[in-house]
Amino acid sequence: MITRRRFTQLSAMTAGALLGVNKLSADALAAPPSDITLEMAPFTVEASPKHHFRTVAYNGQVPGPTLRMRQGRPTSVTVRNRTPDPEVLHWHGLFLPSAIDGAMEEGTPMIAPGAEVHYTLTPDPPGFRWYHTHVSAGKGLTRGLYSGLHGSLLIEPVNDPGAYDAEAFLTLHDWGGHFEASSDGNMSPSYDASTINGKMLGFGEPLRVRQGQRLLLHILNSSATDVHWISFAGHTLRVIALDGNPVPSPQSVPMLRLAPAERACALVELNNPGVWIIGEVRKHIQAAGMGIVIEYAGSSGNPTWTQPDDLIWNYHQFAASGKTPVSGDDVRRIDLVFDSKFHGHGNEEQWLINGKSYPNTEEPVLTAGQRYRLVMKNQSTDPHPVHLHRHTFEVRQIDRSPELHGLLKDVVLAPAGLTTKIEFTANHPGLTLFHCHQQDHMDRGFMMVFRYA
Amino acid sequence: MPDLRLPLARLSLSLCIACLALLCAPTAHAQGNYEIQVYGAETVAPKNLMVELHSNFTPDGQKNTIDGVIPTNHQEHETLELTEGINDWSEVGFYVFTSWQDGHGVQWVGDHIRPRVRVPPSWHWPIGVSLSTEIGYQRAVYDPDTWTWEIRPIVDKTMGRWYLAFNPALERTFHGPDVNQGIGFSPAFKVSYDFTPVISAGFEYYADYCSITNPCPLHDQQQQLFAVTDLNVSPNWEINFGVGIGPTASTDHLIVKGILGRRFNWGHHPDVQ
Repeated sequence: MITRRRFTQLSAMTAGALLGVNKLSADALAAPPSDITLEMAPFTVEASPKHHFRTVAYNGQVPGPTLRMRQGRPTSVTVRNRTPDPEVLHWHGLFLPSAIDGAMEEGTPMIAPGAEVHYTLTPDPPGFRWYHTHVSAGKGLTRGLYSGLHGSLLIEPVNDPGAYDAEAFLTLHDWGGHFEASSDGNMSPSYDASTINGKMLGFGEPLRVRQGQRLLLHILNSSATDVHWISFAGHTLRVIALDGNPVPSPQSVPMLRLAPAERACALVELNNPGVWIIGEVRKHIQAAGMGIVIEYAGSSGNPTWTQPDDLIWNYHQFAASGKTPVSGDDVRRIDLVFDSKFHGHGNEEQWLINGKSYPNTEEPVLTAGQRYRLVMKNQSTDPHPVHLHRHTFEVRQIDRSPELHGLLKDVVLAPAGLTTKIEFTANHPGLTLFHCHQQDHMDRGFMMVFRYA
Repeated sequence: MPDLRLPLARLSLSLCIACLALLCAPTAHAQGNYEIQVYGAETVAPKNLMVELHSNFTPDGQKNTIDGVIPTNHQEHETLELTEGINDWSEVGFYVFTSWQDGHGVQWVGDHIRPRVRVPPSWHWPIGVSLSTEIGYQRAVYDPDTWTWEIRPIVDKTMGRWYLAFNPALERTFHGPDVNQGIGFSPAFKVSYDFTPVISAGFEYYADYCSITNPCPLHDQQQQLFAVTDLNVSPNWEINFGVGIGPTASTDHLIVKGILGRRFNWGHHPDVQ
């Protein structure tokens, strides 16, 4: 069987000539400056004075630079690979051609070590997106999404309502992964440290705010494998967008649950002066560092944390109210069964979609303009944050709930043992990758590609 | 019409035991077969209590009374083991040993206490390493060495479907005929294979070489080999079953053992913890 790593290597060797992939040369250096240049290179993250992690990063920082683009305005990009391994950059949540979406499974060429690529993309849809590496981590827990190759991207709409006074981008990440026996009897990653914006709680600069402001938080979970629960002590989070898409029913919630690759945009009324913590609700994760101090102007002292008693979250509250329209016969149904194959208590499982692992998974053929319903039956004991590239989908059913509508996402956490239904319109022809966003799952087969007729 | 199901079941069990005995090796006699277990390095989680019942029956053991010790033949041993997790690297276990035998009824045999520490998970060692020490008393009619102390290093490793564990235990008798023996050496080893997520099976080996510096002759050594299976039905349950033979004169020739364990959480553990 061809492993994903081997497949990546082969693809990198054969596809390097596309898209102006060049070895760094006089020609490359003479290329006109791009609107955005991202350089991947080795980097050491100092999460705290006692926690250093050797990784790779964009432009010498973790997370990578926060990018802003204007919806529909062509933007030139240069991506340079100064790491020792082939790399690729995925624009998560954008409607881009397969050749630059950033997944070699879709045909995007890998960037060889020392090479760079130039291209122009047209940012769409508007909202909070992100960019990250899309390579396999192999058998280790340092490459791919375990690394520092991730950053936030805001595509500003043509008409930005801007109903806020200040905004902040918070990126959740886990570092120092190692395998441990998990409750399902297989090996799963656990971590030495957890950070927000690359720093453990108490070691980064506080987020400084002023009383009376409306703060817009853009929160991204870039963890390779872990779901995170985030609360803002002393404040309520009013969720206005999920995965960058405005929700039909904004809600005030005590905490967010973000699966890997999920994002939330939440407004906060800064009306409770003091020094507070935005942090992981689960005690052991916050103790591992996942938190950031929020400091009101004129306030000082130790930061305050208010420990919630329970974990509270559901997708349904953000869906549109009113009667849910029934999907007609014009919506084509595609059944997907998620399962795993046991390889011993000392191994990770092999992941299967309809009984097959990538690259042997089925390749359903889509017809442009057709609406599809993915009926995803998760027979495994793990929830899976499944992601559809190059498209936005509508969450239609989850958690045994009645059908819902209006909730648009690009990642949804499909609960274990349940069936999750999503719908999307095939309106972006080209190879389209569908996969679990848990790095260890996608590396072990949890991927498939949709083709357009 | 007579009900043949029970006799048939007995016959099947007898045949299975006989086949296993034939497959594994020749004959044997007894060692301290109250708790027959190769330890893994993992400890019970804090605020958790592991309750285990060790049930061991000796279909073919020592048939004579030797030095006042009751023969082990057809003895049923029931041992209650309670293990409380202290933190993520230590636990304390407590044992109540009992014996049930025709002509002797149910008898209390003794008690042991067993603190144990392990290399914490945060050290990320490639193998599991743990150290247990066990001290306790047993009545002289069941073991002439009434006060004993054991120190048991534990090393284990899971490799894909394979699991290996090694317990090179050292023993010291404080009261009894083996006081002058010095430090005894009683290694145990386990190898098992995951056939399915639920079913693992393999072999466990137990031995007592008498003194570590002056091993006794083979016929005085205790040697046991068990064919075992572990059923991983739930993280909260431990189920182990095995049939063992003892090929030396000092070892019980045939033992059937079972362990049934249940893990209990103390108090309320909300998800936020």
